[in-house]
Amino acid sequence: MSKKILLIDDDVDLIAVYKPFLEKQGFEVQAAYNSEEGKQLFKSFKPDVVFADLVMEHFDSGFVLCHWLDHQPERKNARVIIFTSTGHETGYRFSTQTSEEKKWINADDYLEKPISPNDLLQYIKERC
Amino acid sequence: MKILDARILIIDADPEVVNFLKHHLGNQHVIESIPTGIEGIAKGSSSEYDLYFISMSLPDISGRDVLHAIRDVHEEAICIMMSSNPSIDSAVQTTQMGAYNYISKPFDAEKILPMIHRALERRWYILEARRLRQERENNLAELNVDKSRLATVINAIDDGILVINQKKEIIFYNPRFLQLIHTDRQILIGDSMFRYLPQSLQKQLCEILQKAESEGKTNAIKQEIVIKPPLELVVMANTATIFGENGQCLGAVSVLRDITEMKQLDQSKSHFVNMVAHELKAPLAAIHSYLKMILDNALGDDIVTYNTYLKRSLERTEALIELINDLFNIFRMDSKGVKRNLEKVEVATLLESLVEFFKPKMEEREITVNLALKHGLYINADSEEIRRVFTNLISNAIKYNKYEGHIDITCVADGRWVKVSVKDTGIGMTSEEKDRLFQEFFRAKNIYTRNITGTGLGLAIMKKIVDEYAGRITVETEFEKGSTFTVYLPRVEN
Repeated sequence: MSKKILLIDDDVDLIAVYKPFLEKQGFEVQAAYNSEEGKQLFKSFKPDVVFADLVMEHFDSGFVLCHWLDHQPERKNARVIIFTSTGHETGYRFSTQTSEEKKWINADDYLEKPISPNDLLQYIKERC
Repeated sequence: MKILDARILIIDADPEVVNFLKHHLGNQHVIESIPTGIEGIAKGSSSEYDLYFISMSLPDISGRDVLHAIRDVHEEAICIMMSSNPSIDSAVQTTQMGAYNYISKPFDAEKILPMIHRALERRWYILEARRLRQERENNLAELNVDKSRLATVINAIDDGILVINQKKEIIFYNPRFLQLIHTDRQILIGDSMFRYLPQSLQKQLCEILQKAESEGKTNAIKQEIVIKPPLELVVMANTATIFGENGQCLGAVSVLRDITEMKQLDQSKSHFVNMVAHELKAPLAAIHSYLKMILDNALGDDIVTYNTYLKRSLERTEALIELINDLFNIFRMDSKGVKRNLEKVEVATLLESLVEFFKPKMEEREITVNLALKHGLYINADSEEIRRVFTNLISNAIKYNKYEGHIDITCVADGRWVKVSVKDTGIGMTSEEKDRLFQEFFRAKNIYTRNITGTGLGLAIMKKIVDEYAGRITVETEFEKGSTFTVYLPRVEN
């Protein structure tokens, strides 16, 4: 069975690139354009992997979303990755180096944009 | 020491007494005489004489009453009582009442004159003592004035001041200090600092005293202390050691300055910078992924997608340029040094020319427009800035409108205002979206706005401009129905 991937990002162009690209690679992909849609799809679609943008409606929407995800029973079967342009040089200082840090942001990992579709594919194959 | 030019008052009706004293003392001193007790009291009390001669037997009242009345006013008055029938009793009585001496009449010059000299000498000492006392009082008064002046200044200073001694006891603080450490408790002088001060300030004081002890020289520490986290009350604590003349450390003085506002400003600035960084990076990430797909030949021979990707990359690039322009505008508005070319702008004509400019965009989406403009209404403004305001309003009314939607633009006089309304039949806003509308980088995120590009700065800039002209903006909106933006700008006569 192919992996189910949920993309949550308010940037329509990123979804326009990644969704068809990953589908072509054989994944089942759903996209949400804000946190609310993301929550609904998480419950109905039951993804294996979630890529969540950080800055959406608010500067910390992604963190709030991850916190919510952490309280869902489906969360234990999913890998959650924060996917953001707001990385180390800009804005938040966070990392997923230790389990404590992971716990703090309620995510298993984070990826900094931009990341080429091929690199993203590589990441999913190796880490998810 | 004795007084020259002493003023002497004789209260006696006996001319012999008056003549005797005038004869012996008159060439060195000023002598006045009064025959009755009542008049004597009046004269003798109104100003202080150096010496009083008071007869025990006066025609109206007793000499004792006169003595009592005069000493009542002038406590240190030297009064010599005279009597032609002296008695031990009355001598003792008057001496007890404060008389300097009690002599019998007629006078024996040899006895009397040395006594008078002694009396005048005594008077000199009294005056001298009085002068010294006065001088001392004056000095003290001056000192007190200095002290209270200093205290007033220290109490009025907007910085908190605290002084502690070597034993870490509080020995001075001003009212502002209590406010800044946010305590309602009364601190007693001599109380241990550990009972009252915020931990971070205690630490700073301990550190500096320890350093002073080990190094034996003045040093200072400057440090930010958060009194009420997260950032509600932040002070800059500037602590320095106090050394005595012998080089021993006496304690430390802390000056606390409220820097909360600065910190908050700093934080909102850095938040803004973070937002800017994010907003610049996000479109680049999108463009980057499009270009990667193209260059990695991931599209094969799908020419349609290929073109879409290039077109979107171009659009995002244009949006990025627009964002950078808007950022410049925001910085320009914020930096106050904006140069404006104020001129009279006829609003209706400006609106007409803008609508003409946007015609192709409206036709593209088959949006109709209706203008109801009153001509001849002027505002005093920089035409570039005001053009930006109306451009923004009209372009938003197109961007956020429905396909085949409608726009109503009106311009009327409303009291002292020119009122311009732009009403669209677009997507409208929820109340949460409406509340954040003028926030920098805020963009409504929903299914309708997904494909609309924007910088999130347009309305923030517009509001800044309208505020600059002392105008205002109101918004009426209903989600999925449309919005009406109304701008009021001060009207001027042509």
